[in-house]
Amino acid sequence: MNNRKAAIAINTALLILVVIWFIPILGLFISSFRPRDYVLTTGWWTAFTKNRIFTLDNYRQVLGGTKYTFVDALGNTVRSSGDNLSQAFINSFTVTIPSVIIPILIAAAAAYGFAWMVFPGRKFFFTSVVALLVVPLQIALIPILRDYQKIGLTGSYLGIWLAHTGFGLPLSIYLLYNYISTIPRSIFESAYLDGARQIVVFARLVLPLSIPAIASLAIFQFLWVWNDLLVALVFLGGTADVAVLTQRLATMIGSRGQDWHLLTAGAFVSMVVPLAVFFSLQRYFVEGLMAGSVKG
Amino acid sequence: MKKIVIFSLIALLSIGSVFAAGTKESVPAQKTVTVFGAFVDEEARRFEEAIRPFEERTGIKVVYEGSKDFETLINVRVEGGNAPDIAGLPQPGLMANFASQGKLVPLWPSALALLEKNYAPVWKDLGSYKGVAYGVFHRVNAKSFVWYPKKAWDAAGYQVPKTWDELKALMDRMVRNGHTPWAVGIESGGATGWVGTDWIEDIMLRTAGPDVYDKWVGNEIPFNAPEVKKAFEILGDIWMNPKYVYGGRNTILTEGFGDSQRPLFDNPPKAWMHRQANFITGFFPEHIQANLEEEVGVFPLPAIDPKWGIPVLGGGDQFVVFNDRPEVREFMEYLQTWESAESWAKAGGALFPYLNQNLDAYPNAIERSLAEALVNAKVFRFDASDLMPASVGAGSFWEGIVDWVNGKSLDATLADIQKSWPK
Repeated sequence: MNNRKAAIAINTALLILVVIWFIPILGLFISSFRPRDYVLTTGWWTAFTKNRIFTLDNYRQVLGGTKYTFVDALGNTVRSSGDNLSQAFINSFTVTIPSVIIPILIAAAAAYGFAWMVFPGRKFFFTSVVALLVVPLQIALIPILRDYQKIGLTGSYLGIWLAHTGFGLPLSIYLLYNYISTIPRSIFESAYLDGARQIVVFARLVLPLSIPAIASLAIFQFLWVWNDLLVALVFLGGTADVAVLTQRLATMIGSRGQDWHLLTAGAFVSMVVPLAVFFSLQRYFVEGLMAGSVKG
Repeated sequence: MKKIVIFSLIALLSIGSVFAAGTKESVPAQKTVTVFGAFVDEEARRFEEAIRPFEERTGIKVVYEGSKDFETLINVRVEGGNAPDIAGLPQPGLMANFASQGKLVPLWPSALALLEKNYAPVWKDLGSYKGVAYGVFHRVNAKSFVWYPKKAWDAAGYQVPKTWDELKALMDRMVRNGHTPWAVGIESGGATGWVGTDWIEDIMLRTAGPDVYDKWVGNEIPFNAPEVKKAFEILGDIWMNPKYVYGGRNTILTEGFGDSQRPLFDNPPKAWMHRQANFITGFFPEHIQANLEEEVGVFPLPAIDPKWGIPVLGGGDQFVVFNDRPEVREFMEYLQTWESAESWAKAGGALFPYLNQNLDAYPNAIERSLAEALVNAKVFRFDASDLMPASVGAGSFWEGIVDWVNGKSLDATLADIQKSWPK
């Protein structure tokens, strides 16, 4: 009886939390289909009662580029439309995918080394990596930019991959270390007895066994890089050929924020990819969260 | 083994694309000038459009990059050695910072000649640090304007006030008619309060005059000096009177600055006047923007002390040079001419300071009259909060306005702002 009461209490609490979290998102979603003047003057909750006017115009502007009218030097009126989002999507993927794969590969190897290989100073190095977790990345921006400038990496994709790799490594190593160090010793011993070298053990035992942890880490890193604005602005710049999605969305609202209603649609457009990644890796995610939580 | 193969393939692919990206960028196609600024989206488009004749004539490519986080990024990039060729700085203080660090290239003789010829002296002063000119202005904005719904005004028989007394009489007449004179909103996220600082600056210029204004900006008179206090009191007569402002003090504090003009265009209007810079037209409802000339009227905030006439308060981005190259100089000199502005002026939504500009280029009577007011103003002053040290101009001054509207006593508010002035 007590158990059931507890279950009801927990479920009610969860339900309330979910509803509270969901209401603003719902409001945003409904607003994204409303015309500008209605978004600015009336609440989204009136959309189903008195102001039943919906439009796809916000999405059209976000995806297809804002429309402008110009008068050219000869006095002709020219209608032109801003860049659409396809280039920004491509740029975002170009930045994000390597920025997820590279740190995970390095981190997995490092975590394996820290967990199972014996070398002098292992504790010290591992502690330093973990200590780096608390260093905010902002303090590294200017020094790194100076170095990049010297070797010509600013504005290149390689530069931003390496930057994201560096910023992502401490957490990745720490997370994977916790998981990899829980793999039973007997598995390794039998492999070594069979004459397997470290690299083989790493590639054929450690990596496949760590898939849940790697998947959850991949989600974290993907979300972080996909949503990043600052690092991209500093190392990659914001010109149209390299601007990532977050930069395009940030500029879309106009110099003085006069077009902020477009952010409603923009938010959902940029959310699509992280949601797809999350749901496709979700199966591993829950397992991965537990990873390393109880170290045996 | 398969895993290793897959991973090395991925690694190879990434390295391959690195080199692909590298070669793409290392080809020197043509002379390029990079410009970094704070305006984005539509305005960035207009700018690109305005400089196209230059690109076609000279073959020099101008790459403009705009960012909403300009103030942060420009510091990071300059510190990191990745400065753009030209940057458009919104605050003169930012220019002074870079100039004092020796990061900027001073204007050269031919650019100085253009500066003398095409601009009023005030623009040269605003672009100078310790007597050396660094910046040139292109698009600017002017803030001392009052907007009103024209059709409703005509129907109600209201006349544009020429003096402050006429304005006060008009406000009282509106109240007698059951109308609310002003729509005011100062909410602007982290910058909440700047609308109020603009009002205070406008009133300061009209009551104390430009010389006292300059002293105030440099803190040569304290923030709680009688002149400043008087400006706050004049503003308080309007803002603190619930009959004069739509929604009273609560609405002043909570309404976004951009949306606060909306009550003007309700039918019937819930408020009848709105004081804001020329860029507010971009916030008007779409059907109003489409018929701006018929729907909207505008007049400069009237003079208070006739001695000072009708001063204009404004702001603008000044372009400064970080990297000295012939093509950069050429482009800077282009920016100093009306030619670089004409197509943007025609498109609307922007004002330019050039003395020899063709006012007919502006698309409607409203913008023409704004440009006229700007060019003919005997007294033009830059937004004081942009000139003051950031801890005051973008900090305690804004917060002081909010506290004061919230009910804090005027003396305490002004004393606190004075205390926050960096020593």
